Formats: sequence, structure tokens, C-alpha cells
Amino acid sequence: MTSRRDALLLALGGAALLAGCGRQQAEKRTDRIQLWVAPNAAEESFWKIAVARWNAARLGLPVTFTTIPTAGNSEDTVLSALVAGTEPDLCTNVFSGFAVQLAALGQVVNLAAMPGYDALLEARHMRSIMAGWEQGGQVVALPIYSSPTLIWWRADLLEANGLSAPPATYADVYRFCERYAVRGTRYGMQVVAGRAWQDRWFDFISYYYAASGGQPYLSGNKALYDNLAGLQAARFIDRMYRQGWTALDFDAEEPLVSGLAAGAVRGPWDVERFANIYPDTLARIVVGPMIAEAPPTTTRSTFSDSKGVVIFRNSRVQREAFAFLNWVLGEEALNLLWLQRTGLSPARDDLLTNPAFADYYRGNVIARAYADHVATAWPPALSEHTIDIQKIMSARLVEPLMLGTTSPAAALGDAVARTDRMLEVQG
Amino acid sequence: MLRNLWLRRQWSREAVIGLSLAGAYLLFTAVFWAYPFYWLAKLSVTQWRFFDEPVFTGTRNLLLSVQDPQFLQALWNVVRFLGLYLPIAFGGALIVAFGLQHVGRGKAFVALCFLLSNVSSGVALSLVFAKIFSSTGPLNTMLFAWTGVRVPWTNDPTLAMLAIALVVAWKFVGYYGLILYSGLLAIPKEIQDAARLDHAGPWTRLTRITLPMMNPQLMMVLTFAILVSFGLFTEPFIITGGGPSDSTATPQMMIYETAFRRLQPSHAAMMSILVALVTYALVQLARRLFERKVVLA
Repeated sequence: MTSRRDALLLALGGAALLAGCGRQQAEKRTDRIQLWVAPNAAEESFWKIAVARWNAARLGLPVTFTTIPTAGNSEDTVLSALVAGTEPDLCTNVFSGFAVQLAALGQVVNLAAMPGYDALLEARHMRSIMAGWEQGGQVVALPIYSSPTLIWWRADLLEANGLSAPPATYADVYRFCERYAVRGTRYGMQVVAGRAWQDRWFDFISYYYAASGGQPYLSGNKALYDNLAGLQAARFIDRMYRQGWTALDFDAEEPLVSGLAAGAVRGPWDVERFANIYPDTLARIVVGPMIAEAPPTTTRSTFSDSKGVVIFRNSRVQREAFAFLNWVLGEEALNLLWLQRTGLSPARDDLLTNPAFADYYRGNVIARAYADHVATAWPPALSEHTIDIQKIMSARLVEPLMLGTTSPAAALGDAVARTDRMLEVQG
Repeated sequence: MLRNLWLRRQWSREAVIGLSLAGAYLLFTAVFWAYPFYWLAKLSVTQWRFFDEPVFTGTRNLLLSVQDPQFLQALWNVVRFLGLYLPIAFGGALIVAFGLQHVGRGKAFVALCFLLSNVSSGVALSLVFAKIFSSTGPLNTMLFAWTGVRVPWTNDPTLAMLAIALVVAWKFVGYYGLILYSGLLAIPKEIQDAARLDHAGPWTRLTRITLPMMNPQLMMVLTFAILVSFGLFTEPFIITGGGPSDSTATPQMMIYETAFRRLQPSHAAMMSILVALVTYALVQLARRLFERKVVLA
């Protein structure tokens, strides 16, 4: 017969297990700074060197870093860590919309209030870039890199059809499509990036920024894109579909490789992908600006897919963590190292004028094109309702234009009205 | 003395062995079912955003959910999905079941082949089918070469749902087919022989004998199909992203996005309870309408 003690132990064990499910705030360390970085080899190799240099030079509290322990996406992991109280002091790879959500939940600190913030903006030449990251005088994430969206064109196909330079206006694209596109068989350009809400960054929002000179598409609880720039972008999408110059989707293959489409919106992160998988195609790529109705007079605006760094509210070494950030982002040698390791442009507006980066860009035409647009590339609207805003943009604007069920003006008006209504309800 | 006797009776060796064997399951259930369920129930009637203490809000989440057009659309999408999925899944499963009857050697191998699709990664097969159904994919390229037309599989609301139904059916038809096959095996051969002697044709035998006698298996497949429909996530998430115009968005996608993208876990908790209730109601309705008792005298 088994004693009651065994039964009691079983019950206690179960209770202990259940108790472990509760939220526990791990004791935050004060003797070191904990940093999470993006889970990719290129960025990890940069942080390995940067952290080693910081620790060796004893410039402040020692830093330990690890990649964000995620098998899926970083946001879920960061959120889980915050709920469990196991978040680090600093975390990179945070997109602006998520940073705003974290700020609304009171989980990140205002970096603009940190000592040395202004000096960092000056030292890193990022004051013009910060306009898209400030909300009500608060900065909850500091952009590490900025990846403008530009249009890749197959240079050989452009040349064969009489274009010596990449199209810069809608009219240029139409002229090229008239010569190159064959309805149902090959297309002038991939106009819509995909069906997911994130894809709007790489089509309508990019076109809108280009057409409007970087004007915001949202302010507070109001959508702002029902204007001339929005209409021009919507008409462009509509015309490309009505003429059969673009396909409903390009999910089956990378269209630039076979020439299924001669142009497509691509970011600097695609350079490494193409270099690994399609090196022959990459050699034939020429990068053009984001297209708009009017010819460009200065560097054209576009969307910036940027990721930033945040400091969490529960960190007990906030100032020390910011001091580390100040050093790592402010050091030009480290900015160059970042560029060399990741190929992603640091979020600073002097990339093509600063001699420190001259050698890198001299030998890298595609990277230079992206660097040229960093200062005029804008992040997404700072809203905690990013998903709903862009889902409405997809369902009410882009998809009706793809299928031709609504006119550009009507679709634009409907999308904006619904966005305003949604934002009003959400408060 | 009496007390010791009572304890001996209460804690007999058999009872302890039984408790130990059941204990693991009870503990598992307590940790992975009861505790989350308690949290789910608590969240559904409170307002909680991950970092604060839950505040009781009564029916607020319920009202938010039943007035949310996206959530209602997602529930309606499940009905639309069932309308397309059930005929495909039942048709395919019956073909598999009847086909297996005629397989001579290697029956186990064929059955295993059908199960392969069921154990395949949903993500992997969704990525493959997304390419197949693409407007520039192999299916459309072939159709265009033959007919000059490209079918907007993933861009038209009805066709997009059909595409997802086909993918899910491909995954489950083999599994359902094996369930139905077990039902076919259970029908005594004598009954079919007797029907033949009575000059019953194949259609009559199918509709009057075979299918009615397979009612338990058919009901099982129907129940599974309803559960699969309300649990849909991976296929629409990858193939259509819920579009076009939310026409393939499912309740599970809504729950995920509401909890982890909009950061409104309380609202999502209420949605999940409503989805569970609707699923249960639909299963009960199906049983009421179609379940028959099959007794072999």
C-alpha cells in the first residue's frame, strides 16, 4: 500500500507545476546590459564584433547579447518575453508600428529623454530621418537601418525596348509596357506586391510617398491619402491592370529572372538573395527610383522598411543601455562595419557624402542607389492600428483596382472613409 | 482502530495504482486544459492587455465580438467553406473507400500513401499550392495555352475559397476515405448478396444499403469536417492571406490577429469561446439532422 505521503507529494508537485504557469517578473540585472538582436547571421556577426569592442574597451557596463530566441516572428517572442518578465534591456529588429504598440502598453522608454540623445542625432546625421519616428515629441524606437523601396528593372529588357535608363514616371512605364508586355504571357512590371497587409508597404504606400513627396498617409485618427497623390497612384495601379500590363500575382516564380515581368519593387535585402540564387539576373539589374506622375526634380521619396532598437521600461540599466546605443550607433567605424556585414544602409543622411563610406559605395552600384534614397525614405505611419489600416487599404483600394470592380476615385474615397471610421471606433 | 480501517479501505492498493495511472492524465489535463480554460474564461469577461491586471468588463467583449463585422464575416466564411468542402471531401473520401475495396495486393501501402498527405506539413503544402494556383503558375499557364483564359484562383472571392477547399480536401480525403473504408468493411456481405438476389441495382444498393449502414462513419467524417473548418488557419493564411476582401479570413485568423497583432487578448478570448459554441451547435445540428442508429440484428 502506498502512503498518504506519496499522494501528498503528487499533489504538491502538481501545484508547483501550476504555480510555475503564473507570471513571474525575473529579477533584472544591474551589472550588465542584455541585448537581443535580429536572428540572422549577418547582423549577429556585426553585434559580435561591436559588443566585443565595447566590453574590451570598458566603456560602460558590459553587454551580453543573444539573437531573439524565435522560431517564428520577433514580435511574438518579444511579447512573450515581456509577459513572462524575461525581456532584455535592449532589443533590435523592432518595426515602428510594433514600437508604437509597445509604447501604448507602457513597455518601452522615451529615448528622446535620454541624456546624449541630441548629440547622437547630430553625430549620426539622422535628424532628418527622425521626423518619421517621432510622435508627440516622443521617440520610442531608434532606427538602426533604413531600407528604401526602389524598382529593379532588367537592364537588358529595357535596352531591347528602347529605354537607356530605368522608367521614372508612370508615362515611362506605360511606354515600356506598350512595347514589352504581351497580355497573359509577359508583363511590364509587378505592380502589387502580394495579398498580406504588410505588402501595402511595397506597393501603394511606396507609390503614394513617391507621388506626394513623402507626405504622411495618416495623421492621428485621420487617413490622408484621398488626395491628388493618392489618386495618381490609384490610377496607375488601375491602368496597369486594365491594360493587362501586370498580373494578379507573381507567386509562382521570381518574375525578374525569366522576364515574366521586367520591373518590380525590391528592397536592399533582395540583393543577397539574388546574389545567392540568381547571380546572373542580378548582373542584369538596374535600380530605378520609385515611379510617380511627374518627373523627379530631386531625389524621389519612397517607403523605408526600417527596423529600430528599443529600451524596455523594466530595465534597471536604461541610461547605461542608452550609453551603449549612443556609442554603437555614433561610431562611424561601426556604421561602416554594419554596412559591410549586412548590406543595409545605416539610418543616416550622409551616406554618400561621408568619406568613411566612400570606398564601400564606389564599388557597389545597387547599394549606392539605396543609400541615395535613405534621407527621403519614410517609415510607415506611427499607429498601433497598422494592421487594420493596411487591411482596409488592401480590401477597399488595392483589390478592387486589381479586379476592376471600382473606379480609382471611388476606391480611394471608400478606403479612407472606412479607415477613419475604424480609427474613430478604436479610439 | 476504526480510523485505520477506514483509511485502508480508502487507499487500497488498487485505488492507488488506479490513481497513479490516472494521475498523469489528470495532471496533464489540469495544466494544459483546466488552467488555460480558467484563464480563457477569465479573459473573456475582463479587459487585459498583457501587462496590467485584468479588469472585469462584463459583456463588453461579447458585444464587441457580435458587433464586429470582420468576425461575423469570418464565421460566414466557414459556412461558405463548408458548402464547397463537404461535397469535395465526401466525394473524394467515398471514391477512396470504394477504390480501396478493389485494390488486391498492397492495400496497406495504398492506404498509407493516402495518409501521407494528411501528415504533410500544412505550411509546406500551402506554399506549393499557392504556386500552383498563382495567376502565373503552372495550372494557369496550361489553361491559358489551351483556352486563352487565366483563372483568378486566389483573387476572386468564390474561387479563392474553392482553392482553399481543394487544398484542405487534398490533405484530408485519404484520412476520411480510410474511415469510410472501415465502415464498408463492417457491412455484412450477406446483406448485399440478398439485395442482389432481390434485383436491387447498384444505385439502389448504394443509397438504400451501403450509405445508410455507413452512417456512423459518415457522421464521424462530417463531424471531423466541421471541426477542421472552424480550425482553419494555415491554408488561408498562406495561400490568400484572408483576401480578397476578407472573403477567406477565418475565425482562427481573426483570433490570432486580434490577440497577437492588435494586442487585444480579452477580445480574442471571447471570440474563441464563441467559435467553440458555434462549432458545438453545428455539430449537434448535424447529428440531429443526419445521425441514424445502425443496428445489425
